[in-house]
Amino acid sequence: MIRKTYDVIVIGTGAGGGTAIRALCEAGLEVCALNAGRRLDPNKDYRHHRRPWEMKFRAFGDPAKRAESYGYMDNEYVEGVWEHEIPFTAAPGTEWMWPRCFAVGGKTNFWGRSSARFGDIDFKARSLTGQGVDWPLTYAEIAPYYSRIERMIGVSSTVQNRPSNPDGEYLPAFNFRCLDHILQKGAEKLGVPYLPDRIAQLTQSVEGHPPCHFCGACTTGCDTGSFFSTPWRHLPRAEATKKLDLRTDALAKNILTDSRGMAIGVAYIDRRANREREVYGRAVVVAASCIESARIMLNSKSRRWPDGIANSSGQLGRNLCDHLYGESANGHLPQLRGQPSFPDSVGDNTIAWLPRWQNLKDPHEEKFVGGYSVYPGGGCTEYPWYAVQTEGFGSAYKREVKRRYPSGVSFTIQAPSLPLSTNFMDLDPQVKDKYGIPVARMHFQWDENVLRMWEHSKEVCADVIRAAGGVYEGCAKAPNIPGWSLHETGTCRMGDDPQSFVTNRFGQTHDVPNLYVCDASVFPSSTDKTTTLSIMAFTLRTCDRIVENFRDGVHRRV
Amino acid sequence: MAAQDLQRREIVRALGIALIASHCPGFAKWAYARAHPEATVAPVSQFVPQFFAPAEYSLVERLTDLVIPRDDTPGALEAGVAEFVDFMVAHDREQQYAFRTGLTWLNAHAHRAHGKPFLELNEAQQVALLEPLAYRAQYRQGEEEGQEFFRRIRELTVMGFYTSEIGFRELDNPALQLYGKSPACPHPDDPEHRHLPAPKW
Repeated sequence: MIRKTYDVIVIGTGAGGGTAIRALCEAGLEVCALNAGRRLDPNKDYRHHRRPWEMKFRAFGDPAKRAESYGYMDNEYVEGVWEHEIPFTAAPGTEWMWPRCFAVGGKTNFWGRSSARFGDIDFKARSLTGQGVDWPLTYAEIAPYYSRIERMIGVSSTVQNRPSNPDGEYLPAFNFRCLDHILQKGAEKLGVPYLPDRIAQLTQSVEGHPPCHFCGACTTGCDTGSFFSTPWRHLPRAEATKKLDLRTDALAKNILTDSRGMAIGVAYIDRRANREREVYGRAVVVAASCIESARIMLNSKSRRWPDGIANSSGQLGRNLCDHLYGESANGHLPQLRGQPSFPDSVGDNTIAWLPRWQNLKDPHEEKFVGGYSVYPGGGCTEYPWYAVQTEGFGSAYKREVKRRYPSGVSFTIQAPSLPLSTNFMDLDPQVKDKYGIPVARMHFQWDENVLRMWEHSKEVCADVIRAAGGVYEGCAKAPNIPGWSLHETGTCRMGDDPQSFVTNRFGQTHDVPNLYVCDASVFPSSTDKTTTLSIMAFTLRTCDRIVENFRDGVHRRV
Repeated sequence: MAAQDLQRREIVRALGIALIASHCPGFAKWAYARAHPEATVAPVSQFVPQFFAPAEYSLVERLTDLVIPRDDTPGALEAGVAEFVDFMVAHDREQQYAFRTGLTWLNAHAHRAHGKPFLELNEAQQVALLEPLAYRAQYRQGEEEGQEFFRRIRELTVMGFYTSEIGFRELDNPALQLYGKSPACPHPDDPEHRHLPAPKW
């Protein structure tokens, strides 16, 4: 039997994998993509536009399934979509909450869509904060790739002229709601920026996809492809090239190598047939998400790579960072009490944001290094979550719920943890998943710096509510458990020195020139911005490199 | 559901919704009210509780009515909230014991105060018994079990009511509708919103 060999095997179809698949197929390379889960059927699996009373448990979910519905996104709206079979463990002392979507498209099916560019303030992490490392590139080098991906996916925002948050190429922004105008006035008084977020949600048609219809159900999928996700946008274009072989329910197990340690393919579990298979390629792109990518590479042990493939630096799985999330403040705006309802939740939390304003003039002006951003939300949400917290019963209670409905506000912090030697993932020496593959074991604690940001945000956000004429009512007792944000970075960090970094500045592993990484694992540190847009911009750059390497004969075409 | 988890989930719920394609067993009254928007309450005989005994169910229904009564707008009875409570408790082993003993506690409490079960008291007496269970400032020692039970049934009542079609109408809930363009604040000349019309409610 002739062994089929592809030019490139891509593991994963989310932000990184999906972008790589499209870029490589459009460049004419033969691509085999492995995706650990199934393909979603938008008609069946995207259950939005339905009302809560049209579902069994009113969207609260079956209480009996509470234990297995792990995490906040894994609920009745998207039952059967999130992954439950592939576990992970947390080392003693670590709490890790980690909902994962292995469906085709990964988390882009249901992501938050906030899409800010990283800037030099992020890349010069070490120089400015004394922590972590500087990134091996400048903003000027990556900016064209941001423009390319923004043009592809469509990002709505405004030009804001803040070097810490470089402006991109934007569609018209979402309109501010009443609560945005009120809070913006309050923030202005404190010198805190309150601006339209960058949101990968269309206010104009892009690539033939209609603009948003503002139903507000984005977090459970879009039936018109009006916010960016790879199944709607990248994968159909890749498939149209006829260069793509997409294998679903194909759980990557390890990367296959030859005697020199070069990548020759991928071993994967065909989950439908419950058997192991192999696929061969001239280059391999790992894009399974930060921790899964590192897990696959750590599980790729051979005589040449006894500690996992491309791990001669010993940094694979290390430098793990995450975004601390949590409700920094909540309250209500009396101005809006009893006013007519208004569709406030059309873009969820991504209509406005308070982009990093700390440590900009002087990197040491605060009691912490680096900085964080904040997302405001509130108003007329689909469910009046404050109602349970509102005391009482009877007509007076009912009236209070109604009066308060448009007025609630809350602030959610997004703050980067620091890359510390104590925060990392490795393979659990005991626990294997149902296919016999060792699972990821998490070692992670919030560091003091990020906890200082949390404390800082609680004060500032309370002040913003008060300065806006609002009533501050409280905050979360503690930040969310690590893992919650799904913004992990660092496990395959990029840098010039092969002894200290897993990948080079192009996301190519130092040890194995035909092995590339296209996800947030290559980011050496976390920032105040979300990861998805940058994953895609860096992936386009990596793919340019891959295509060049095929053109120049570094990798040979099949 | 731990309060924080519940709130977290509900916040995320508010971020968007997709619903299971399924029938809703046990929601006879709700289905009836939906098919007959002008109808108030469907005949009780149509609904057979999954968890509560008939006498318990009558008490549950009365409590949901007291939590969210019909006044100038429909309340929990019209929205069939008791059916939702029964349905959720039937699927939630962790709550079942607390509900069963809580209902018993409430009747015993009514007996101690007035010599009659709760349902035989007049409305003022019922409200007077519930108030010390509902308001932290009025909590009384020795009534912790009642407070906990009232917290549970009130929570399920609120959840059931505001996720019903009647509950959506109550708030004029604008979610899950289609808009032709990005909805914009209708008060562009008043960014601080200091000069809005008098509250509508």
